[in-house]
Amino acid sequence: MIESYTQSGVCVIDLARPDKRNAMLPDMLDQLHEAIASSHDALAVAILGQGKTFCAGFDLKACAADPGGETMRALLTGLSRCVGALRDHPAPVVLGVHGAAVAGGCALLGGADVVIANRSAKLGYPVVRIGVSPAVSSPYMLAAMRDGVVRTRLLDTELIDGSHALGLGMVHELCEEPSEVRHRTIEIAESLASKPGNGCKATKQWLNTISSVTDERADAGLNASIGLTGNDEERARLAALWGSS
Amino acid sequence: MTNEQITSSAVLLKYDGNIATLTMNRPDARNAMSVEILDAMHDAVDTVRGSDASVLVITGSGRAFCAGMDLKAVLIELSGDPEMGERLLTRLAELTLKIRSLPQVTVASVNGAAIGGGCGLTCVCDITISHADAKLGFPEVDLGICPAVIAPWVVKKLGAGVARKAMLMGGVMSGKEGHDIGLVDQLAPTRDALAPLTGDVAHRLAEGGPKALSATKNLLNQLDGSLDESLVVRGAKLSAQVLATPEAQAALAARMKR
Repeated sequence: MIESYTQSGVCVIDLARPDKRNAMLPDMLDQLHEAIASSHDALAVAILGQGKTFCAGFDLKACAADPGGETMRALLTGLSRCVGALRDHPAPVVLGVHGAAVAGGCALLGGADVVIANRSAKLGYPVVRIGVSPAVSSPYMLAAMRDGVVRTRLLDTELIDGSHALGLGMVHELCEEPSEVRHRTIEIAESLASKPGNGCKATKQWLNTISSVTDERADAGLNASIGLTGNDEERARLAALWGSS
Repeated sequence: MTNEQITSSAVLLKYDGNIATLTMNRPDARNAMSVEILDAMHDAVDTVRGSDASVLVITGSGRAFCAGMDLKAVLIELSGDPEMGERLLTRLAELTLKIRSLPQVTVASVNGAAIGGGCGLTCVCDITISHADAKLGFPEVDLGICPAVIAPWVVKKLGAGVARKAMLMGGVMSGKEGHDIGLVDQLAPTRDALAPLTGDVAHRLAEGGPKALSATKNLLNQLDGSLDESLVVRGAKLSAQVLATPEAQAALAARMKR
């Protein structure tokens, strides 16, 4: 479900469950965390998705099949660990969104230093609709963007396009077509990997110090999301979505 | 009434009513931050602090606003002084804190290139005005060095997400691109239109009550943590450490030979 390779100092990590729009499962997030942790020698990291879309978020069918909420808790915990690992990675992280980055998929943006998307890509956190709180993403978003933008994006279930996301600072550069995102993301990662000396890594580390997401804040976000899992509202909404109980 | 007062040849300080204008004046060196220009700026800012001015405009003479740190001074091979880099960076850190804490509203009028520390200087100011063809940016990482000394100001100005992209990717951007990401607050369409636009903005600011302006600025400084000196001072030390590495010195030497 995760594939990775290193070339020209860049570790390219792919979400590789294309037939499910790279929807996340707990094991997949474990693999992603392992891939991130194994890439600390890389000079830059590129995060991409295979298939037609970057990532549709959590696999809600798996969540609906587990009314006790264990799957949802494992996904939230795994997501928080992955975003934290990207942010703490010693090298800069470039993330490319083609097609869509929804809910948990959009949350991965919080760990990236540079985000590329295609102009018509769909981005957002429409998870309150299924009774899930996106609080897990809030510490990383607040560390990067204005308060008003973060509140709107986390509370409103609307998906916005790449152009809108660029204006809000969620995305830093646009490609016209989804097919261009992979090439441009790797190109930027290679450019970062080729910078001389230690300037780039030192700068990232210092920016993490200045605009830090402390473990305490990250845990608070995760716990706020986890606290809701398995409750009646979430169970009913997930069951309604999948027509089962 | 315009009253010109030359603080030193490296910096010109002029008053027009309650608007002070500080002009970095080493056009042949693109107003790069040497010991001389930084010392002169410290003196000029101290003078402005004690004046009746309520607005300070900072600009550069010649084609550039400020090309950043004086590479000749920070390249140990040329200066022969391994401590010079840290002294300059510390002096720059102190200058940015001094400018930020001024009671006067500060306006950067970016007439041309504002590079590295020069671009950081614009972020310290309350308002940045430039023109579409100016060049701004943080190419430090392209030279193996680290813009830590100015990063706190860039993060405050742009927000951390956009600041990450700008400082990690290096390179420079046009005034238009700077306006798009919030680095430039007001954009003149051409270089010739910059001075009139700066004049309009400065005069409008100067119409405000000096106490109201100063109280508002002081509150903003408190709310965004601008008065916390420790991050900027630590940033200067980190920039100096990276600057002194053999890789950074080699990259700077290669740039000087171009």
